[in-house]
Amino acid sequence: MIDWMAFVTVALASLIAAGLLVTVFSLALRVGDGKGAVRRWGAVALFGLCVFIVLAGIFLIVPALHKPVGL
Amino acid sequence: MVVLVIALALIFDFTNGFHDTANAMATPIATGALKPKTAVALAAVLNLVGAFLSTEVAKTISGGLIHTEGDGAVAITPAMILAGLIGAILWNLITWLLGLPSSSSHALFGGLIGAAIVGAWSLDPIDGGVLVSKILIPAILAPLLAGVVSYLATKIAFGITKKRQRDSFKVGQVFTSSLVSLAHGTNDAQKTMGVITLTLIAAGLQPVDSGPQFWVIVACAVAIAAGTYSGGWRIIKTLGKDITDGIEPAQGFAAEASTTATILASSHLGFALSTTQVASGSVIGTGIGRKGASVRWKTAGRIGLGWLITIPASGAIAAFMALIARALWWGVILDAVIAAVAILAIYLLSRRGSVTAKHFHQPQPTAFVRPKKRRKKKKSRSRR
Repeated sequence: MIDWMAFVTVALASLIAAGLLVTVFSLALRVGDGKGAVRRWGAVALFGLCVFIVLAGIFLIVPALHKPVGL
Repeated sequence: MVVLVIALALIFDFTNGFHDTANAMATPIATGALKPKTAVALAAVLNLVGAFLSTEVAKTISGGLIHTEGDGAVAITPAMILAGLIGAILWNLITWLLGLPSSSSHALFGGLIGAAIVGAWSLDPIDGGVLVSKILIPAILAPLLAGVVSYLATKIAFGITKKRQRDSFKVGQVFTSSLVSLAHGTNDAQKTMGVITLTLIAAGLQPVDSGPQFWVIVACAVAIAAGTYSGGWRIIKTLGKDITDGIEPAQGFAAEASTTATILASSHLGFALSTTQVASGSVIGTGIGRKGASVRWKTAGRIGLGWLITIPASGAIAAFMALIARALWWGVILDAVIAAVAILAIYLLSRRGSVTAKHFHQPQPTAFVRPKKRRKKKKSRSRR
């Protein structure tokens, strides 16, 4: 009656997605706090990754974007 | 009759909007990432946009809960939709008055169930199995899952960053809460569009199996955005301030990231979860996750109780309305009058001890003189 497999999938996907976003954003803050080109570009790259994750979120929210791909 | 149903559907859409502002905007308001008015304006715009982005009508508004074909079937009449809507609206307003975040969808389902039971004079049209598997079990799992995800996310955020870096989480919060709002707009305005379209089809004003007409989309989008902008401050206060005290930006970010991830996963991987319940679970989870924060379980318990009685309560109101509509030929008009009086009464009640945007005044950190401790003891920089 209850689709437990679906629930486990949802649980894992949420855990991974939320964990990833928080990890990347936190790392970006950690790396970006300080001086030096390496730190700066590292932070920029990590924030860029965050933007990508958010864009992926928008992609999943808007049907017109993900329907053609069949998700 | 059709006009009445459409009007009530739009009122429901409005209550849906202001009931659910809290889901996305309670935490950014609580941490001061967004000013209260800015937050609700942002949420309103995103809800408006979201409503236009997705026009896929949920064909079975009742989600398979009510048999419309086969054994024990009942034909859904406009009068039943009307009674169901009144039940949902009144329950939304009552829970708002009490500051309880409860699911607007459940209120709508409950209302339609109540009306269907009266319409059929039996419990036959209700699929009990679906009720348990689609509503009851998810109501337990949603906050649990969101709570666990949010707990871990909070631990990660606090583990990686140092204290002085954590203020920047506010910037991230703007984006994560916006995603929640957008997702809300694409989902919830659809329900009302579906109800109105169903009514128009039932009344023979629109061909069967056609999508919502453009004015319906516009009306629903505007109604939900207006509701969102009016801001259910009472529920925002419950979710943002009462469940756990002193939410920090990092917690807010973690909670919103968890809410977004859980909702998106649930809507794409086929295990439907209520946005409200996920958002509440996230806030509780982040409250457990931060050292030194406490969760007021009494408030959480009250919210949980609210979820349990949402369906029976809105169902009971709707059943009563359906009974009136069935017993008297002018019952529908009486229903509308009762609804109007009740809405007015709740509004007047809410005027006593109202909660408005002013309750979320955040002292600007820059306005205070910060003691310059850091320079003196450079080596013992506080880690937490």
